[in-house]
Amino acid sequence: MKFLVTKDSKLSPLLRYLIIGVLFAMILYLFLDILLHGYLLGFDIDSIKATLFGDEENFIEPILFDTLLMQIHINLFFSLIAIMTISSLYIRFFNSYERTKIFVHLMLFLGFLSPLLLLITFLYLPWLLLGFLSIFFILHILTIIISILILKKLIFR
Amino acid sequence: MKNLKLYNIVIGYMLIYSLLILLSGVWLFFRSQGVEAFDDILKIITHPASKSLHNIIEILTPHIFAMGLLIFIVAHFLLFSIKIKQKQTIIVTLWLLFFMLLNNSIYIFISIELISSGLIKLISLFGFVFLFILLLVMVWVSL
Repeated sequence: MKFLVTKDSKLSPLLRYLIIGVLFAMILYLFLDILLHGYLLGFDIDSIKATLFGDEENFIEPILFDTLLMQIHINLFFSLIAIMTISSLYIRFFNSYERTKIFVHLMLFLGFLSPLLLLITFLYLPWLLLGFLSIFFILHILTIIISILILKKLIFR
Repeated sequence: MKNLKLYNIVIGYMLIYSLLILLSGVWLFFRSQGVEAFDDILKIITHPASKSLHNIIEILTPHIFAMGLLIFIVAHFLLFSIKIKQKQTIIVTLWLLFFMLLNNSIYIFISIELISSGLIKLISLFGFVFLFILLLVMVWVSL
């Protein structure tokens, strides 16, 4: 790949406001995504288990596989767009090569691992549920923190 | 400007995400057709699952947007490629867009009984999958 580099590395005021706007939207999306997953799967571990695997005592059927697969399909698309945007901005605004490399790898890797773990948990390994939840929250918290760091750099430059 | 190399990581992961989106999409389609084993795929040719126009529009609307956007995002990285010629990119991308539109719209003709066979749907699906994977490989080779 041969990327185009211009000598003018200074941001125009319009681009600065646009990036601030998109980052606010991304942070809002990430919070709402946690809420959406809560409504879909449940807000505590028992209700998540009941949604995924059913509960005979309370006559709760497990979630349909097609519904879960569709959710994963949609999640992968939105994660790609959101994390790609945040990672690219992070690379653009932070100079530390090694640290940036680690965080970019971490965000992008956890981004696709999280829906994959949900699928594996549902199909084969129910004991991986805590692993999925941990990765889901680590990903969201990390991505929100990175977005806030970029915002801070843009607002208080 | 050494950080420019880091964009290759983002592009590399994008290829993995795109492949996973493609695989889950194909899996969802086969499940909607009641395909449980490999032999069942051929049944789509003679007996494609019946779907209402409402159901088709509901699936088609987000897919036209998302597939068009994803093709653009993946293909535009080839603008920076020094290994793949632009003419090759244009040919692959235009055929990919054609198969994407055909694959998405063909079920409308099946639902209004203008076409009774699912053969064109299968051909367009496999054509789209083949060309999309080819596009991903072209980006991967260019990294």
